[in-house]
Amino acid sequence: MHEVVTEEFRRYYERLRPDDLSISDFTRREIALLQFNEQVMIRHLRFGSPGALKGALVAAPPAHVYYSSAYYRAPEAPTMAGKGWEGADLIFDIDADHIPTPCKDGHDRWRCLDCGATGMGFPPADCPKCGLKKIDTTTWVCERCLDVTKKEVFKLLDDYLMPDFGVGMGDVEICFSGHRGYHLHVMSESLRRLTSDGRREVADYVRGIGLDISFHGFTVLGGGEIVGPNLGDGGWRGRLAKSMYAILSGASEEELRKILGASGKEASLICRNREKALDRIAQDAPLWGALRGMALERLGRIAGATLGEVTCNIDERVTLDTKRLIRYPNTLHGKSGLKASKISYSDLEGFDPLSDAVAFGGGDIKIYVKEAPHVRIGDAEVGPTKGEEMVVPKALGIYLICRGAAEPRE
Amino acid sequence: MAKYPFLREAASLIEEQGISLGDLATGEYPKVAERALARIRDSLERREMATDLKDVENEVLSYALALALVYSAKSDWLTYRFATAECERCGGLLAMESDSKLEEMARSHFGWRVEKTVPPMGSNFRFRIDVADYLRVAPAFHADGWKLVNRHLSGGTVYLKGGQLARLMAEALKTEIIRRASEEGVRNFVLPDALKPLRDEILRRVEEKKREYGEEMPLGLVKDATPPCLSAVLADLAAGKNLSHMARFAVTAFLINVGEDVDDVLKLFENVADFDAGRARYQVDHIAGNVGSRVKYKVPNCAVMKSSGLCTNGGGLCSSIKSPMVYYRKRLRSAKGVPGGRVGTAAGTGGAGTGTGVTRGQGRPRQGEGEEGGRGEAPGGSGRA
Repeated sequence: MHEVVTEEFRRYYERLRPDDLSISDFTRREIALLQFNEQVMIRHLRFGSPGALKGALVAAPPAHVYYSSAYYRAPEAPTMAGKGWEGADLIFDIDADHIPTPCKDGHDRWRCLDCGATGMGFPPADCPKCGLKKIDTTTWVCERCLDVTKKEVFKLLDDYLMPDFGVGMGDVEICFSGHRGYHLHVMSESLRRLTSDGRREVADYVRGIGLDISFHGFTVLGGGEIVGPNLGDGGWRGRLAKSMYAILSGASEEELRKILGASGKEASLICRNREKALDRIAQDAPLWGALRGMALERLGRIAGATLGEVTCNIDERVTLDTKRLIRYPNTLHGKSGLKASKISYSDLEGFDPLSDAVAFGGGDIKIYVKEAPHVRIGDAEVGPTKGEEMVVPKALGIYLICRGAAEPRE
Repeated sequence: MAKYPFLREAASLIEEQGISLGDLATGEYPKVAERALARIRDSLERREMATDLKDVENEVLSYALALALVYSAKSDWLTYRFATAECERCGGLLAMESDSKLEEMARSHFGWRVEKTVPPMGSNFRFRIDVADYLRVAPAFHADGWKLVNRHLSGGTVYLKGGQLARLMAEALKTEIIRRASEEGVRNFVLPDALKPLRDEILRRVEEKKREYGEEMPLGLVKDATPPCLSAVLADLAAGKNLSHMARFAVTAFLINVGEDVDDVLKLFENVADFDAGRARYQVDHIAGNVGSRVKYKVPNCAVMKSSGLCTNGGGLCSSIKSPMVYYRKRLRSAKGVPGGRVGTAAGTGGAGTGTGVTRGQGRPRQGEGEEGGRGEAPGGSGRA
C-alpha cells in the first residue's frame, strides 16, 4: 500500500487512547492482523492490555484488525483444541452488498467472467446471457445503501432481539463495519454457549426461514372459519398479524392477484369485502377467514408476500459461526480508511458513517482517480469521474486510494 | 428414582452404600448384572425398556452398570442405541408426570430456567423456558413445529405445552449420554476385570446387530438411493452449470462419504466452466481428509441444506430424516432383498410440502466467497466478517 496510507493509519493509532481499544474479556480473545499487501493473516495473537495492542498497531499499522467472537482459555494456542473454547458472542452482520438497493444501478457493476457480459446494479445469480455463475463485481456504497443497512439494524434490535429474545441494551454492541454495513455483537451470558445449530435457529428466526403460519395461532374451525393471532400478540404471531393486516388493507386487487394466483376470485372478493374483513381481524378473538372458506394455505401465501419487509437481511454465515474473527471496534478498515466505530443505540439514528467514521482530518492530498462513481466523504464529493488528477481533502483521497480507485500523486 | 436413575439422588445412593462397579459383577448382586444386560439388549433390539418400580436399588444399580458397559465398549453405534432407548423409556414416563414435577426436574437436573405459566393468548402453553436452554436441545428435532421460528418466543422465553417440555427433557437426556461418551474421564475409564466378559458379550451382540442392519454400505454411489437435493446438484453438475460453494461442498462430501474415490469425484467437476484441476483436487482431498486437518467432512445435514437453499423439500422419506446421508442409508436398506440390490424409485421426490409453510431456504447470490470456507472449514476456521 502507498506510504501515505500506512502513515495516516499510524498517526490514527498514535492518537487513539488505549481505552478506545478496550473490549469485553480482552485477554480471552484471539486477535488477528492482516498487513497491507499481505495475503496471510497473522493469527493467534494475545495481548496483555489494550495499550499493548495499541503499541503493535502503531509499530506496524495493519490494513485490518480482527478479534475472535469466541472466548478462549488460551487464545494464543495455534489449534482449536489448544485454545479451549468457552463460548462466543452472537454476531449479526448486515452488509449492503447482500441487499438489493435501487442505488446499486448507479454505482455497482458486474461482469460475467465466462462470456464477458456486463451490467449495472445488483449482480444476477447467474449470467442472463450465458447462464453461468462466475460473476465478478465492482461495488461501491453510498448514503442510501448505508441507510438501508441502518434500517435493518433497527429492525433486528427493535422487532426481534429486544422484544422476542429479551436482549437488554447493555448486552448489545453496535459497530459500523468500517465499510458497507454494521455488526451487532450480543454478549449475553446465556446466549454465549449456543452451538452452531442453536445459532442457526436464531438466524432462521430473524430471516423467517421455515416459517409456517399454522404454528402461529392460525386454525381452521369446523365451519371453515379461520381464527388467527391478535394484532397485539408478541413474537411471530403479532408480526404476522400486523404485516398481513397491512397487506390486506393496502394492497390493490392487482397486487393481491399476484400473491394469490391466477383466477383472481379471492383477490376481488377481498377487495369487495375489505372493510368487513379488516374489522373481523381487528376484533378480539380475530377471525381471519377474510372470506369464509379461504384456505390456510392461501393465508400462508399472503404471509409469504410480507416476509421481505419484516425479516432481517443478515449474512447468516456470520451468525452461525462460533469462532468468527470479526473486525475490531474502533480500528481502521483497510479498504476504506474509515473507522469501525462503536455506536450507542441512542446515537445510531443520527449516525452518518460517511462523516462520523472519518478518521483523518486536515489537509489536502493530490490524487489521480482511475475511475469512480459519485463519492462523498465528509463534506467533500467527487465523481463520477475517470482518469482525472485532482486535489481533495485527505479523508476522501485516502478512501479512494484504499478502494483501489485512485493513486497518490506528488 | 427407579424411573430416573440418572438423577443425582441415584448417584448418591450408590455412593452411600459404597458399592464399586466391580462388586456388581460378583455373586452378591446377581440381578444387577442380569438387568443391566437386559437394558442393553433391549436397546439393541429396539424393544421398549420396561421399568421395575418395585426394585429401586436394582434399577439404579443396573442403570449405572449398563452405562459403564456401554461406554467401555467404545462403540458410537451402541452408545447411540442405548441413549435412544433411554430417551424413549424416560419420555414415556415423563409424559405422565405432573407439571410441578416436570418443572422441578427440568430445573434441578438439567439446570434449565423453566417456569409454569398461565396459558397466554388462548393457547395451551403451560411452561416457558429460557431460549438458550431451549436451543441446547431443540435443534435435534426435525419436525417443523420445533423450529424456533415456529415457536412463540417472547422476552427471551419459549412457550411450551406440558408434553413438549417432557419431550425436550427426554431428548436432553439422550444428548447427555452421547456427549459424555467423549469426555476424557469416560474415555479413559478402565473397566474392572470382572466385568470384561460381560462387555465382550455385548460387543459380540453389537457386531451381530450391525450386520443385521447393514450398517456397512456398498462402495460407490447407488444412484437410486441418492436424496433428491443431491440428485438435483448432481444433475446441475452434469449439465455443466456452475454451482454455489455450498452445493459443491455438499455434493463432494456426499460422494466421498458413499465411498467414491477422489478421482471419480473430480471427473464430475470437469464439465464446470471454471474447473481448475489442481485446485479442485486439493479441495476434494481436503474434504476426504487426505490433507490438512485429516478430518473427513460429513455431509451437511438437512437444516444446513435448507438454510443454504439447497433443500428440494422432497416429501416422503425426506420428512422423517435429518440428513441426506440418513436418506441414502435408509433407501439402501429398504432396497435389500430387491433383486440385484437396486433400489426402487418409490419414495416421493416431488411433494409440495405442508401447504401452510411460508418459506424454504433461500439461496442468495454471494460474491467474492472464498473457496475453502463454508461448513467445511478447517478447525480454527478463519472466516471473517
